[in-house]
Amino acid sequence: PTQAQTAPPNDGAEHYVLGGITVSGARYLDNNTLIALTGLKIGDPISIPGEEIGKAIRKLWDQGILGDVSVSTTKIQGNKIFLDFNLKERPRLSRFEFTGISKGQADELKNKIKLIRGKVVTDALLNNTRTQVKKFYTNKSFLDVKVNITQRPDSALSNSVVLVINVDKGDKIRVRDIAFEGNEAFSDRKLKGKLKKTKEKKPYKLLTSGKFQRAEYEEDKQKLLDFYNAQGYRDAIIVSDTLIRKDDGLALRITVDEGPKYYFRNITWSGNYLYDDKTLASVLGIKEGSAYSKETLDKRLNYNPTGQDITSLYMNDGYLFFSIEPVETKVEGDSIDIEMRINEGVQARVKDINIAGNTKTSDHVIRREIQTLPGDKFNRELLIRTQQRLSGLGYFDPEKVGMNPVPNQADGTVDINYTVEEKPSDQITLSGGWGGYAGFIGTVGLVFNNFSLRKAGTLSNWRPVPAGDGQRLALNVQANGLQYQAYSFSFTEPWLGGRKPNSFSFSLNKTISRFGTSFDPTTGQFIKSNSATVALGRRLRFPDDYFTLSNSVSITQYKFQNYPLNIRNSAVSELTTGDANNFVFNTTLARNSIDNPTFTRRGSSLSLSLSLTPPYSLFPGAHPNSTQWLEYHKWMFDASWFTPLVGKLVLNSRAHFGFLGAYNGNRTLGPFERFKLGGSGLGYGGASNFIVGTEYIGLRGYADPNDQEAIPTAQTADNGGIAYNKFVMEMRYPVSLNPAATVYVLGFAEAGNAFNTYSQYNPYKLYRSAGIGARVFMSAFGLLGFDYGYGFDTVPATVTNPGTGPKGRFHFIIGQQIR
Amino acid sequence: CSGYQKLLKSNDVNKKYEAAIKYYNEGDYFKAGTLLEELQPLLKGRPEAEKAQFYFANTNFKQSNYVLSAYYFKSFYETYPNSQYAEEAMFLHAKSLFRDSPEYELDQTNTLSANESIQEFLNRYPESTFRPEVENMSQELQKKLENKAFQGAKLYQQLRYYQSAVVALGNFQQQYPGSVYSEDAAYLKLESQFNLAKESVEDKQRERYLEAVAFYKQFIDAYPNSRNLKSAENMYDFAQKELVRLKPTEKTAASASTN
Repeated sequence: PTQAQTAPPNDGAEHYVLGGITVSGARYLDNNTLIALTGLKIGDPISIPGEEIGKAIRKLWDQGILGDVSVSTTKIQGNKIFLDFNLKERPRLSRFEFTGISKGQADELKNKIKLIRGKVVTDALLNNTRTQVKKFYTNKSFLDVKVNITQRPDSALSNSVVLVINVDKGDKIRVRDIAFEGNEAFSDRKLKGKLKKTKEKKPYKLLTSGKFQRAEYEEDKQKLLDFYNAQGYRDAIIVSDTLIRKDDGLALRITVDEGPKYYFRNITWSGNYLYDDKTLASVLGIKEGSAYSKETLDKRLNYNPTGQDITSLYMNDGYLFFSIEPVETKVEGDSIDIEMRINEGVQARVKDINIAGNTKTSDHVIRREIQTLPGDKFNRELLIRTQQRLSGLGYFDPEKVGMNPVPNQADGTVDINYTVEEKPSDQITLSGGWGGYAGFIGTVGLVFNNFSLRKAGTLSNWRPVPAGDGQRLALNVQANGLQYQAYSFSFTEPWLGGRKPNSFSFSLNKTISRFGTSFDPTTGQFIKSNSATVALGRRLRFPDDYFTLSNSVSITQYKFQNYPLNIRNSAVSELTTGDANNFVFNTTLARNSIDNPTFTRRGSSLSLSLSLTPPYSLFPGAHPNSTQWLEYHKWMFDASWFTPLVGKLVLNSRAHFGFLGAYNGNRTLGPFERFKLGGSGLGYGGASNFIVGTEYIGLRGYADPNDQEAIPTAQTADNGGIAYNKFVMEMRYPVSLNPAATVYVLGFAEAGNAFNTYSQYNPYKLYRSAGIGARVFMSAFGLLGFDYGYGFDTVPATVTNPGTGPKGRFHFIIGQQIR
Repeated sequence: CSGYQKLLKSNDVNKKYEAAIKYYNEGDYFKAGTLLEELQPLLKGRPEAEKAQFYFANTNFKQSNYVLSAYYFKSFYETYPNSQYAEEAMFLHAKSLFRDSPEYELDQTNTLSANESIQEFLNRYPESTFRPEVENMSQELQKKLENKAFQGAKLYQQLRYYQSAVVALGNFQQQYPGSVYSEDAAYLKLESQFNLAKESVEDKQRERYLEAVAFYKQFIDAYPNSRNLKSAENMYDFAQKELVRLKPTEKTAASASTN
């Protein structure tokens, strides 16, 4: 836009009053509206030069409907000025089309270049479009791409044009050869490996694209230098690098000057009063004579993710203003002396804790998890611990939990600002599927992980559900008509009373399972169970605060009719119609220090659980029959460790044990609470599903429990073992860590078995398997996945099982499995 | 309703506009809004655009889409600062933000921006007829922020982190000196300090009871008619007794006498 300048040559602006506005040059637009859009009205003060006219022009421009605007003065009468806005209307864009490329790429480009229909076609718009299209193709290695844009009037709409964007892609130009010069300490091969994104394309390199992208290449060069620096070559430089265009592609020549290799010599400390030189040197852990590396030095001084560093030594004790500067005091030959200049500063105390970004979760739910407390000494470790806690709640994107300490040097205090970003935490399961014997099974499940009972009383909060108080409400219905129905409801308040993290939960379950073809209530076969559980849990402070202890009481009633309960090695052979009741007290001690619940990289989770029924048979006098009131003690132990290996690869090793025992040798264990191993551990699939009151444990590579081909203790004819163990090694590699859908692939080897009696118990006699699989975690659906497992050990043949089942099996996984 | 469907498909800008204004005047803001949204780009550069944009913003406001109405009212008064609707648009912009301000337990970014836009409105139109309503909104928002800060500090008392409660309540008193929660804050601070002293090891008890007594004095000076007076007095009596029991050691007594 040009602006006619009628300003007098003197320095000061001249002041006028606006006497009138006219618009010229408009053909399709309305003059009065354009005047209104300038924001000017008669009587407004106008100074020349001044900002009023510029502002008016900008407002017209912002509408995006003009090609050009200029302003001229038509006349000046006394202090009144008359302005004319001269406009050039440009044709508008009615649509655009691509030629010379596939439809898929055209669609992709349409999203990228963001041409808005109805916008005025200007040179800038055309140039911009051309550059964007070019960039799109050069990024895909089409370095010779040609883009030609032509305009053609749109016959359907007046004053508008159609843009035809013609693309000539040309050939893909790839990097064919990378060579180094001047490198003596490291081979070409080694150095090529350090260029992470820029690779040469060779016929045998199937996964390498050989793309050359300038920005990535610049990063790669820096990585190459970082590598040299880390090895002690701190003078290393890239002298020159040339990209040569050859017939078959690009050749890259990089000339480096390595310079000498340097070593650490004397490291001295100054300004340290709190810790002596020896302590600091041992934390630093750099020995005289080791290769000089700025990277290692920085890590040991500032932040070391795998061990101790000097800064956290101070910062975990309130010394927030601590600073350390390594100064090279002497460089002699290839040896470097370093003096560590320390400024310890004063201890800072925490003042305010601020929370932002919680658009759903209440302040108190977050604040009660925060470990940095007002009045305490600043402690960096607690800051990191808080981040883990907040991620562990599952309401926030773990990658975006922010902590920002804002020190106030004046009064020696620090405010800590936490920021969170809410992510969906509720889960809806709507599924239907074929489950072997039972046929079609439908599931409706709702889990609200951040429910608020307090807000449930107000109708306006039901949009869709009252949320924000960190309570958990879960409802689940699973059914396939009359044959099988399961209902469950549970509610958990993690901070009962609001003073301590004592969780309270209450749950109800009902399962009905009918067999055969007759569903007659008096003659049909069925088993029904009703149960209620109340649990209290609390975090412990000893031995450390990763420990939790929970206690629960539950009562379950089993009702069965004409129901075959066969127990091998048991006096009770047939138990057809009757009731059984299970009143049990459970206590579980657990320690959980995993860093991220969706894709865990490090940490461990251990759990020891003991379930006890009252020892009826020890009381004098008459006591209930063991099939009326179950009598047992049950011990379960689960351990899982996560260890990062190389890069993003994580090793998960697990061990699981379970034992069921009787108080009284004369009383046999009933058919309930036993262990069955096999398949994905979901407990259905196979011939007769849903034996309630059984502990199902996955064992990939073998048939699902209750299948004819399942391992002996898990077969239909058996009610399961009274002892089991299982060991798993699993390697996991993340494909996507996006919180909307976390995806990882895995390879596993596992072994497990369940045993009918303690005399048969042998932790070395296991069914072994190995396989691969993948998991997707979507916050709305939970964890889904499949595994392919190969069972190495042959399942012995029985009456019902010829022992010729397949060795390899597919398993579908729904939900996070503990065992 | 079929007439409305026909209108939606029609290409006649004038007919659509007239119908939209008619629906608007009848109070059918959903239909008016849908039509006006389609008309926005088509009316650009025409005289009807001004009214259409204001009405469109208002249809969003009336349908409780406060995020959208705040945005459109703002773009309206920036595009047409001389319009007859400009003052009302700015007022409704502030009011949209006010309505969109979440409860005190959540992130208050919107409350702060509502407060800012209220201030802008009052600076621009000090004589406005909307002034009393705007001032009420401002007070309500301020009270919300105070409540948030107070509840945050109070939580530490609830969690029995008494030392943190004393610090946090002290911060609250400094930040919001004239708040309606001041009295409660002063009392809770005294109670927290008293409980802190009671739970402390004997070494620190004297010093902490003395502090509690100081808080008690501040409390009764500021709020002689407080409903918590009785329990405050009880704490004071208890603290006094404890202080007699925890006689200063010779060393501290000596240093006290020289002062």
